[in-house]
Formats: sequence, C-alpha cells, structure tokens
Amino acid sequence: MSEEIQVTIRFEKGATIIDLAGDVTTFAEEAIDKAYQTASSDGAHNIIFNFRQNDYINSAGIAILIGIVTEARKRDQRLLMTGLSNHFQKIFRMVGLTQYADLYPTLEEALDALEKAT
Amino acid sequence: MIPPHTSRVVEVKIPSELGYERVAREAAASVARRLGFSPERIEELKTAVAEACTNAIRHGSKSDARMKVVVVLTADDAKLDILVKDPGAGEAPPNQVIAPDIQAQIEGRSPTGGLGLWLIRQIVDQAYFEENEDGGHQFRMIIYRLTDDGQPASEDSHPVQANLENSNP
Repeated sequence: MSEEIQVTIRFEKGATIIDLAGDVTTFAEEAIDKAYQTASSDGAHNIIFNFRQNDYINSAGIAILIGIVTEARKRDQRLLMTGLSNHFQKIFRMVGLTQYADLYPTLEEALDALEKAT
Repeated sequence: MIPPHTSRVVEVKIPSELGYERVAREAAASVARRLGFSPERIEELKTAVAEACTNAIRHGSKSDARMKVVVVLTADDAKLDILVKDPGAGEAPPNQVIAPDIQAQIEGRSPTGGLGLWLIRQIVDQAYFEENEDGGHQFRMIIYRLTDDGQPASEDSHPVQANLENSNP
C-alpha cells in the first residue's frame, strides 16, 4: 500500500526549491534523495524543502531528512524547510532537526530571509 | 441517550504491510474527534498510532501481509486507550527507549532508528509494552483529551455525549 510522493525541483530568487506533495515515509526515500542529489550536482547552495501543509511525515521520513542534513553539512549547503503544519514544526524541534535546517512557515518567508542574508 | 462514563470500543484489523498504518491512524483520529480532542491533540495521536503500527508491522510481524496487526481503541469521556497487537513474529520489543542524538547520527557516530518509539513517548501520556497471552506483542498507549486550560480531562467531563447529541439530532 505505497503512496507515490510527487517531488519537483524549481529555482526562484537564487534558491533551489524541492516541492514535496504527499506523505514523507519510507516510500518517499528514493524520490527525495534523487531530487536532492540532482539539486546538489547542479551546484545548489540554498535548498528549500517545501512541504504541503496537510501531508504526513513519520519517523522514517524524518530519518530521510536527517540523511539529507548529513549530506548538506558535508557540502556546506544551507537547508530551509517550509510549509510544515504546526504539529510537524513541533516534531522537528523535538527531534533536533531545527539545529541544522531553518524552519519558516511559508516559502515566501524563507525566500525573503535568504534575500536579506545576501 | 448514552450514559456518561460508558466506554466505546472500536477495533481495526490491518494487514501487516507498510502503508496500512494510515487506516488505523485515521480511525483513531475519527474516534478522537468524537471525544472532543483538539485538532492539535489529534495530530499528536495520529503520529503516535502510526508509529506504533509501523513498529508492529516492521518489527512485530516482519512486514508479512498475511499477518494482521490489531488496533483496539477504547474511548471514554476523558481519554483514548489504544492497544496495538502484533503476532510477535519478529524481534522482542526494546527494554528501554533512548533519546535520539541527531548530532551523533549526522556525524556517523550513532545509527539511526528507534525514533518512532521515542516520539510516541514524548507525545502520549502513557506508553508501555504488555504481556500478551497469545505470545504476540502488545503495546498500550493512553492519551488524554486536554481541557481548554491545557490540563488532562477528568472523568467528570462528558464531551462524547455532547458530540453524539450534536451529530445525531
């Protein structure tokens, strides 16, 4: 009973945006990892994972993101995460992911923050 | 009219196959809505139920879809009692839950895993493994409805009755 996640890459204001539409579980690993590797090989420095507000993320999905954080640190990339529900923002803080990736409620706020930082 | 303090039991049986934990998760959310749980509390419940079912599928029955994971939801006025039972075909449940050290994981000093059980313990009010007479594993979680001031509901409150009356005029 797997569910396909839709992962797309786009570019805006100097950032690489990886849009995730669907549940982030073990079934999403290949698609997310592939998108991240594609963005990295294209030289992305600022990468935004843009979640869809009502999608579900489980511990396997969080483990996938921990793997991405690990890679991003080696490559000196900045990771941002947007679109998370309040519940998953809380979970990400509890787990400690927010030490390695900046959370913003919306994509626009993340892009504004990147623009101000440059 | 349903008298107060009456437990209502919903039982969900799912194949031991990843993805079906969604069915149990939505059933638990539906019961919690009738109990008057807040949307935030329901999201927490959904995470706890899904993680417990995922563990039962992956570790308790080796993701063998011929086996079943049974989720028993017992609701009373103040709380939801969730029992997740698996056939016990896999490894024994862990004796202790260790908080994830994400920095150690990122630096490759610590393996990933065990996060689901730790998350459950952070979210629900009680969570523990129990003896199962059938030889399987049995994991119980208890989550209280929170009142407006953020305190666990007492047995004296009767939101279920109110919800039922509202939804069944």
